[in-house]
Amino acid sequence: MEGWVIAIIKVVFIWVWVLLIATVMTWVERRGAAMMQDRLGPNRAGPFGLFQPLADGIKLFTKEEVLPKKAHKVLWNLGPLLFALPAFSAYAVVPFGDKIILGGKEIILQVSDVNIGFLYVLAIGSLAVYGIVLGGWGSNNKFSILGGLRSTAQLISYEVPLGLALLAVVFVYGSFSLRDIALAQQGTFLGFLPNWGVFKQPLGFILYMVAIYAEANRVPFDLPEAESEIVAGYHTEYGSMELGLYLFGEYVNLVTLSTLVVVLYFGAWHIPYIDISKFLGPVSWGIVSFLILYLKVAFFLWLFVWVRWTIPRFRYDQVMGLGWKALIPLALFNLFITALFIQLSA
Amino acid sequence: MARPVVKKKYTLGERIYLLEILKGMALTWKHFVFNVKASFRPGPHTVPTCWQYPEDRTREISPVYRGLHMLCLDEKGREKCIACGTCAKTCPAHCITVKKGKRKEGEEDKYAGKMYCASFDIDLLHCIFCGLCQEACPKEAIVLGREFELAQYTREECHLDKQKLLANYRKAKEEGKLRPPRKAVPVVPAPPKPEVKGASSKATEVKKGQVEVKKATKKAKNAEKAKSGD
Repeated sequence: MEGWVIAIIKVVFIWVWVLLIATVMTWVERRGAAMMQDRLGPNRAGPFGLFQPLADGIKLFTKEEVLPKKAHKVLWNLGPLLFALPAFSAYAVVPFGDKIILGGKEIILQVSDVNIGFLYVLAIGSLAVYGIVLGGWGSNNKFSILGGLRSTAQLISYEVPLGLALLAVVFVYGSFSLRDIALAQQGTFLGFLPNWGVFKQPLGFILYMVAIYAEANRVPFDLPEAESEIVAGYHTEYGSMELGLYLFGEYVNLVTLSTLVVVLYFGAWHIPYIDISKFLGPVSWGIVSFLILYLKVAFFLWLFVWVRWTIPRFRYDQVMGLGWKALIPLALFNLFITALFIQLSA
Repeated sequence: MARPVVKKKYTLGERIYLLEILKGMALTWKHFVFNVKASFRPGPHTVPTCWQYPEDRTREISPVYRGLHMLCLDEKGREKCIACGTCAKTCPAHCITVKKGKRKEGEEDKYAGKMYCASFDIDLLHCIFCGLCQEACPKEAIVLGREFELAQYTREECHLDKQKLLANYRKAKEEGKLRPPRKAVPVVPAPPKPEVKGASSKATEVKKGQVEVKKATKKAKNAEKAKSGD
């Protein structure tokens, strides 16, 4: 097989896989929420209501597309696209497994191992805000504009601690490539701890977790779409599959961010103390590493749901205060400490 | 009086916030585990707060629930209604129309009163289920039952005539869904009224006494002040 054929297969595979996770996540979110609130949730379509996402999809696709009279047509249509496309394309540099050997050829389970993978993810992640702002502005609705503006302010202020927390990780591993970072987390550290990022960067991990909740517009930082204040925020006017793209993009964002957490802080496909790759063949190790990685990702996806139904929404000034007064100083402090350690140990 | 706002001083652990979030998550997890376990139990009614309605009809309906109307018969199987029309007058939605009929000889086993309703119509599309007709009825003839599935396909089906109202009664009786008879309201004897003249004179005496006390306290205070001034 030629290189580009393999690349296309990997792209299609990861596209379908992420779509599948996002679809299942809608079901997990609704049933999980119901169970936490002493309800049952959607349990009619199929066994345990598992076909509910399918039914939702059919509904969204067959719905009429309504364009508000005074909406800006170009921006209106551009909004959902600009939101969903970066969400998918950010996955291009995120590894989804170690490597697999097929027909004597070694295939890395990652669409492309770019040496600046990190910067790419950050850059693409920030692009999503354009989708929200343009959608909000194009709708010509006060709630939409408010939602769009809120998301701008929020994303800008939380991008800083996010970037700083990630920078500390780069300091530790000395590489911008996500695959290199994942590989470096094998074995143990200080003799007894697994060599995972979370043990080397505990503060950075907490900062990163807080920042991704703001980045993904999830509770407690879901101010751009705060239902109780501004209807549905930036997607108030949207319906049909345009709304579907927004909702889908959000879940794809969750998958990307959760995978990043696992790859950076939780040892990607490594299991503490045991190196399974020695016991398995090259093909089965590829599959097992993929499964281990996504088992960990599943936990963090579940954490998003869990936190959502536990904590109430922050007030707007509290969100800004937390971002600028607590997270950024802490991130700078973390960076300083990390640099000091590296300097002293070198 | 408005209660003064007391601002709570937060401890360091509470201000860091992460620990409190973990506590909250433990609570939601408890609910989650309980409900997941419950939902795997056999039977239609699993999670305690959820009834799977069309399949599971075990949920109790309150005895004071106001559902579909019915015209009641007495113990001898006679119609209680005397066509006085009080229900029609009371109805705030004007959805009841009653037509009178006079009882002829030989119909004593059919109608309880001297008059009976020749026709009794209720427009359910207008009815607001306030239950005032039931409150107003002197003979407890019209009663709102517990039947709550009232959706129909046509307007005509939402129109209740006398035959349907009687049929509702028979159906409720068969299913044992008849409302239990109203409990007699216990009559409390009114407290004896105090004599008017004596009461008024007493009140003035009390007032005078109060004024005197006030004056006395003022004098005492003044005396204290003078002492402290020295």
